[in-house]
Amino acid sequence: MTYQARLRLTVAALALAATPVLADTPDNQLVVGFSMTNILTLDPAAITGKETVQVLANVYDGLVQLDPVNRSEVQPDLAERWDVAEDGMSITFHLREAEFASGNPVRAEDVVWSFKRLLTLNLAQASFLKTYGFSAEGADAAFAAPDERTVVVTLPQKVNPQLIIATLGIVGPGSVLDSVEVMEHEENGDLGAAWLAQQSAGSAAFVLQQWQSNNLVLLAENENFWGEKPAMRRIVWRHIPESQSQRLQLERHDLDIAFQLAPADLTALQTAEGVKIQTTPSAGFYYLAMSMADERFQDAKVREAMRYLIDYKGLNEAILPFYGTEHQRPISGGFFGLLEDPGYAFDPEKAKALLAEAGYPDGMDVTLRALSDDPFLNLATAMQATLAQGGVRAEVITGSGDQIYGAMRERKFEMLVGRGGGGQLPDPDSNMRALIYNPDNSAEARLTNFQGWRTSFYDEELNRLIDAAASEVDVEARRQMYADIQNRIDEVVPPILPFSEVVTSAGYRDDLEGFVVNPSWSTDLSTVSKNR
Amino acid sequence: MLTHSRTRGFARQVGTIAVTLVGLLILTFVIGRLMPADPVRAIVGEEATQDTYMQVYQELGLDRPLPVQFLMYLRDVVTGDFGTSIRTGQPVIHDIAAVMPATLELATLAILIGATLGITMGVIAAVKKDRWPDQLIRVISLAGHSMPIFWTGMIALLIFYAWLGWVGGGGRIDDYFIGLVPEVTHFILIDAALAGEWEVFWSALNHMILPASLLGYSSSAYITRMTRSFMLDQINQEYVTTARVKGLSVRQTIWRHAFLNIRVQLVTIVALAYGALLEGAVLIETVFSWPGFGQYLTSNLMIGDMNAVMTCVLLVGVIFIALNLLSDVLYRVFDPRTR
Repeated sequence: MTYQARLRLTVAALALAATPVLADTPDNQLVVGFSMTNILTLDPAAITGKETVQVLANVYDGLVQLDPVNRSEVQPDLAERWDVAEDGMSITFHLREAEFASGNPVRAEDVVWSFKRLLTLNLAQASFLKTYGFSAEGADAAFAAPDERTVVVTLPQKVNPQLIIATLGIVGPGSVLDSVEVMEHEENGDLGAAWLAQQSAGSAAFVLQQWQSNNLVLLAENENFWGEKPAMRRIVWRHIPESQSQRLQLERHDLDIAFQLAPADLTALQTAEGVKIQTTPSAGFYYLAMSMADERFQDAKVREAMRYLIDYKGLNEAILPFYGTEHQRPISGGFFGLLEDPGYAFDPEKAKALLAEAGYPDGMDVTLRALSDDPFLNLATAMQATLAQGGVRAEVITGSGDQIYGAMRERKFEMLVGRGGGGQLPDPDSNMRALIYNPDNSAEARLTNFQGWRTSFYDEELNRLIDAAASEVDVEARRQMYADIQNRIDEVVPPILPFSEVVTSAGYRDDLEGFVVNPSWSTDLSTVSKNR
Repeated sequence: MLTHSRTRGFARQVGTIAVTLVGLLILTFVIGRLMPADPVRAIVGEEATQDTYMQVYQELGLDRPLPVQFLMYLRDVVTGDFGTSIRTGQPVIHDIAAVMPATLELATLAILIGATLGITMGVIAAVKKDRWPDQLIRVISLAGHSMPIFWTGMIALLIFYAWLGWVGGGGRIDDYFIGLVPEVTHFILIDAALAGEWEVFWSALNHMILPASLLGYSSSAYITRMTRSFMLDQINQEYVTTARVKGLSVRQTIWRHAFLNIRVQLVTIVALAYGALLEGAVLIETVFSWPGFGQYLTSNLMIGDMNAVMTCVLLVGVIFIALNLLSDVLYRVFDPRTR
């Protein structure tokens, strides 16, 4: 072989090797990238956070399910239909014929057992039901199974039954477990908690095949599924903590869906070939909080001044794309009763005047806490600059979740940039309880799950209105109540000022069909297919 | 008499090891408790009510005084019970047995690459001291040492995985193969070979080669510098000149004489580098979504899962002590004067 021929061959070989071989994911398997850092268990009663809900939504059914598009609606799931008693104090669910993955029939008894188990274990997910007066002690009276296919839920206190129905659509508190299967694995009276941490006993389209902490979750098709057969035989959930790695793998088609992409990567992916992005409103808000344990913030004028020192537009356009969208009311987008945004804008002069009126003509020194992660640190730094324009000199303190929210729970903070505010339950009551409601402002009450308590905000009238709106059955009257609540919030300026609503963005391959991200995190992947 | 002193020496060594390990545990325990990580909050979540929080707080035994907690932990460890992990709900030992093979496999391949590269470059650099190969090697090894490995990891992924498609992306194996091979040893290469699944074997190797090369490259920097300096010491000795005068070639002098004399020191260096790799190539494991020991340790540290963290620290301590002992033994094998 001549030198030239050899050179040509080498170049050709190199060129061939350098051509990326695009390996598609398998046709009948869905490969999903996300972070498993927060997954400590897969027991529906004990889970916390978004990621476990994403997984378990495909493993467990509820009596009903939350509509992914119209946030105020619920759809049938294990219950084909339901009736609300005339007095509004009980709901009767009629179950469809279905089997669990084990082959055991889904009975009303299983449903009742699941709710009682949730309340007895009293772990993370129990708080959804406890909010409306349900308790372990009262569970026998609250949940009954008069026959195999009927479940009757009796409300322990006067609450709009729609709220309870929606709560039972949340993955976790509403998940129905195969009681026979679970109790076969009970150890030391743990109601199967140890076993369920690693196994599943549900009736949805998939069954948990394997969970390796911080590595992967494998879901396999449930052969006994009562609904339409899913197009995918398997879902592989991979722990990919690095957003850039997720992006590369999505681009290379080693992933079908990437759930935890950072905004920089989402921006880059907008123009990538074969990749689509879906952004939907999610639960919670980005907010600026003040502690009313600090007497300066007990003055409503000071709190109002802060309202005008937030650069709503600037923060949302510069820092929050793919994190959140501008939103000023403490009620999630698409929820019942939400009024239009009041249209607050950055106005340092107005803020200065308010501060002077409150007795702070020279402004004040404050500390501003924020998580050291994105986007909080950027938000705090930007906020520091706008606060300064109103004479509020903020010292930024950063730290981990336990340092920042821990301080808030202990009521030991001055100002804080945070995220939260309910909304997984698609009803304004969820936002109100998370952000505003505070039935007992005493230090001993330690109602740390209410941000109202954490910020030492107590307004009797708002508490009353929130309770009344939660129990109101008449739709128009209820709508008016939430309008009144929002107007009062405008007026009294609670110490939590939302400036953006959290959104969830997922990147996915454009050959996927039927992929709709659920704002309450419970994205149903049984409807997803690949069009190749 | 000799036996007696040997026994005493051995006893002293065991005593030192035990004291080191207990000291290590005390330090880890104290740091773990001072750290702003709340395992209870990790379990119950942000929205939980106070009664739920307190219920879990008591279940974890956190209401007891710190010294009592520590002593109880120590008592359990002595009986071989390392506790249960909060993250997985499984016995910690079981967890570590599941994640360690991933790290061992990666670290072993990495050290093979690192030692081969490092020793070769070190010897060449010493022989060609102050000439261009030495300068070039200095630049190469300095770069390996100073570039942050998560950055090199991302760039390498971009080039070799995303652009060229030569290697697999994150994870230990292609997704199609997950669950295909029965996990016997948890070493994926070995398990695949045992099952005769050669496609799986190549897929695993394909996923491993890039992170292993990067880790190998980064540890080769240290090995190169040390090899060069050991070698220079030898080259300046009279026996080297004598060997050359007697007519041996440069290659023979270097590899048959000088190199044999630095083996002992090299063993220590390579053993320590290997130990450092086992301890957890945390960043590389994160970038490559590698389910190994480093990731296990850090993610548990973040939520204050102290049973898991303490056992990991104990294991790292044991690994380092074992490597030190091993290099002591190898000293004796390679250097007759120490016998």
